[in-house]
Amino acid sequence: MATMNEAATALAAGRRGLGRDLAGLAVILVLAAIGYLLFPNNLALLTRITAIALLVLSLDLVTGYCGVATLGHAALFGSGAYAAGIAAVHFGITDPLLMVAAGILGGALAGLACGIVILRAHGLPQLVLSIALIHLFHEFANKASSWTGGSDGLAGIAPDPLIGLFAFDLWGRTAYVFGVVLLAIVFVLLRLVVRSPFGMLCRGIKEDPIRIRAMGASPTIALLKMYVISGAVAGAGGALNAVSTQVVALDSLSFTLSAESLVMLVLGGTGSLFGALTGTIVFMFFEDLVSAANPFHWLTMVGALLIAVVLFTPKGLYGTVAAILARRRGAGR
Amino acid sequence: MKRIILAALAALATSVAAQADTIKVGVVGPFSGPFALQGKNFKAGIDAYMAVNGAKVGDDDIEIIYRDVPQADPAQSKALAQELVVKEGVQYLAGFYFTPDAMAVTPLLEQANVPLVIMNAATSAIVTKSPLVVRTSFTLWQTSTPIAKVAKDAGVSKIISVVSDYGPGVDAENAFKAGFEAVGGEIVEAIRMPLSTNDFSPIMQRIKDSGAEGVFAFLPSGPTTLGFVKAFDENGLKDGGIKFFAPGDLTQESDLPALGDAALGLQTTFHYAVSHDSPENKAFVEAAAKAIGNPAELSFPAVGAYDGMHVIYKMIEATSGEQDAQKAVDAVKGLSWTSPRGPVSIDPESRHITQNIYLREVAKADDGTYYNKEIQTFEKQGDPGLAAVK
Amino acid sequence: MQTIFSIAVDALAYGMVLFVISIGLSVTLGLMRVVNLAHGAFAMIGGYIASYAARDLGLGYGAAVLIAVFGTIVIAIPIERLLYRRIYGQPELTQVLMTIGITFCIIGIANYVFGPTLKTIPLPPSLEGSADLGFRSIAVHRIFAIVCGLAVAGALWFAIEKTAFGVKLRAAVDNAAMAAALGVRTEVVYAVSFAVAVGLAAFGGVVGAELLPVEPYYALRYMVTFLVVVSVGGAGSIPGALAACLLLGGIDTTGRYLMPEFGEFFFYLAVIAIVCVFPRGLAGRMK
Repeated sequence: MATMNEAATALAAGRRGLGRDLAGLAVILVLAAIGYLLFPNNLALLTRITAIALLVLSLDLVTGYCGVATLGHAALFGSGAYAAGIAAVHFGITDPLLMVAAGILGGALAGLACGIVILRAHGLPQLVLSIALIHLFHEFANKASSWTGGSDGLAGIAPDPLIGLFAFDLWGRTAYVFGVVLLAIVFVLLRLVVRSPFGMLCRGIKEDPIRIRAMGASPTIALLKMYVISGAVAGAGGALNAVSTQVVALDSLSFTLSAESLVMLVLGGTGSLFGALTGTIVFMFFEDLVSAANPFHWLTMVGALLIAVVLFTPKGLYGTVAAILARRRGAGR
Repeated sequence: MKRIILAALAALATSVAAQADTIKVGVVGPFSGPFALQGKNFKAGIDAYMAVNGAKVGDDDIEIIYRDVPQADPAQSKALAQELVVKEGVQYLAGFYFTPDAMAVTPLLEQANVPLVIMNAATSAIVTKSPLVVRTSFTLWQTSTPIAKVAKDAGVSKIISVVSDYGPGVDAENAFKAGFEAVGGEIVEAIRMPLSTNDFSPIMQRIKDSGAEGVFAFLPSGPTTLGFVKAFDENGLKDGGIKFFAPGDLTQESDLPALGDAALGLQTTFHYAVSHDSPENKAFVEAAAKAIGNPAELSFPAVGAYDGMHVIYKMIEATSGEQDAQKAVDAVKGLSWTSPRGPVSIDPESRHITQNIYLREVAKADDGTYYNKEIQTFEKQGDPGLAAVK
Repeated sequence: MQTIFSIAVDALAYGMVLFVISIGLSVTLGLMRVVNLAHGAFAMIGGYIASYAARDLGLGYGAAVLIAVFGTIVIAIPIERLLYRRIYGQPELTQVLMTIGITFCIIGIANYVFGPTLKTIPLPPSLEGSADLGFRSIAVHRIFAIVCGLAVAGALWFAIEKTAFGVKLRAAVDNAAMAAALGVRTEVVYAVSFAVAVGLAAFGGVVGAELLPVEPYYALRYMVTFLVVVSVGGAGSIPGALAACLLLGGIDTTGRYLMPEFGEFFFYLAVIAIVCVFPRGLAGRMK
């Protein structure tokens, strides 16, 4: 019964899809403009939020749409960041667009590698595989210090001005605009992906893999494809981070970042790109606010926020609001 | 809507705070998370300096703005530094516990016209990244080189080196190796262990099997140090006559109560011991202990921060509060003063601190507390690591 | 030969310490189906209480252990009633969010109350020093940890498999509605198992404190280790957890002895291999 309802909603959503794509795009751009106007002096934070938003969107693809539990998603983000950084430092590829391309490639490859391993198990063992992977990636980057700078980080990344005109400077305007445009493009592409038959197939696998297999589709291949796409998105985020901060370090391949991104996703609500964005923005702003207000004891406040979210909005911030709106609409009909 | 209100509040707050002649110093450090103790020491050192010397230079009020980077995270560090410069309008950046965090900020300095005073990050190369960097802490090369001579003097000629596998660990290994081979010693084996090692028994077995007469060790201060030193004791290496040499991070004062008797007799070389006997240090320890609340938490980053503030005060004096990074840095090149750790000066060439390095031994005081007892002084040590960088 | 024996002893000691600390998580994770990432936080609370009792109040080690276990349970009861009860049966990710939130709060509070320094739990003279095994010496407290691990394993196995409570617990886990219909007060069963899990966490935190010292970040620092060990063993299985601890302890110890530089690779590659071969854990219950 529940699946019938969901299918019906999905169908309706498909019809409204295009409108919502445009609305989503508009929301991102308007929010970005508001951010720019309100915090013209804090663009570095906003740029960081866009980079992390790409990571959380990418995590949503595998966790929210495919039901893969992972605490190692930063492996994809970090691989993208290192790919872009290494391209710039060791191969002299300093054009920001090419660096992002390198990041996308690096992320996609890492996605393929991680996908092959992670998709071998389900549930808790899957979580453990992802944890093992992120530690292996981390350790590998630490060992390959002649390429990655090891624990000192890969410094000296100097991206060229964007399309030869706009330099990445102290005030971070170029980086911000670059990041927002990247995010907007990725967002629209992802909306198309998740509404495509392939996206529906992935959702179906999440709900009932056995039935999908009976229908003649291979769940593993589909999920692996999604993992590669997810890797490309995370890699773009990593590359954006490398371009805007001009340094890459081991924290981008850390368990901490993986866990944080999962927290942000669940906070906003899984299975919805809007949820991923909401979670990232709320978490990062909240963290910035409380850690600036009290640099010594802010962790307690973040913990309290997470607990409050679970208690009062069980489907995540966006998920709960969307559910309430849907109920109202249903009641009004 | 909420955000608009917040922004309005923030704007209101800054307009109130932005009175005439307030010079802001932005301090980035690990104030929460696994290294919170070191961040707390930053704050204690800074508070102590301002308590002793006043919160004013000339007519200008000094305001400190703290920002937290709990673990090495250069992207976050850079974003916060940018925010401090652009939004808060700080004239000086200071702090920085981790090397990558400091490295990430160096490209900003020139454009921001802001000097960076490093209060801890200990990799030699940082000062070469920008002419606006001054460091008042130490480097691992600086603290690990003298212990090689100590080991040789103690009649040890075969040593196994055991370090944590990350930047500072590798630095310490290289420094010790260079120093020890220069005096004719032999490194029989060099082991790098992952940072996440909890159980050191197998490492101790390795040390035993290597046939070395002594061990040189470096681990980041904190829980791993405790495990390592206890394992050294419990696996019978200490009783077996194997000598232990390390830079002073391993026996930092705040870890000593936890280490207890296991640490007794360990010899380390370092730039600062809380027990250092001088009137300057007495005044410092008194003020810093008051600032930190619990005197047992006092450790070496506090003195780096204290001297960092001294350098910043001198910079402000020299520029009479105007924002001129190059002039400020030039003014402290060659500056020498008596720090709580002893006589120090800023090397005009490298902008790194030249200081005495002390050989200390962990001893038990009459009241049952443990301390680092200084037994030998290596005077006016520069940073040998810079040669290795170039 | 001597070296092999020596490594085996180290592996056994390390594995058993891991077992004592992690087994409580196996109970919450496997029997109660709660991904309790705050497990390390409860172990840490136990460590702090024991440290305070033994070091600052000067009580004996045994008394400190008891106070730590019961003190932690007392602290955990309101947390269970107010927070955990809301997430029983919820999706795993919701549980992750909630328990990470709790962990953050406990870390923040511990840092505020006790400060960021390491806290030790003074050992009684009988557990101090080293014992001679003939071919090497080993710390007495390690032997103590091994004994504790065996005792805990035995007691838990007995409680779950042989007692009436164990039957009720397994019934409540397998089908809560049916168990309730048969007159099992599932709420009480859950509360008691939670208390046992927390008590075990605290006990492990105290016994393992020589190896994993107590400090505010403890709760997150070792979270991954606990989770990996329990999952590899198969959540909810006492023999599985024991086997996993000994196996992983052995792999870790051997890896760190043979090639310490690549210790991390060794360990996590082994974890991946084991999970791929035993996707339900070494002795996982079938779902």
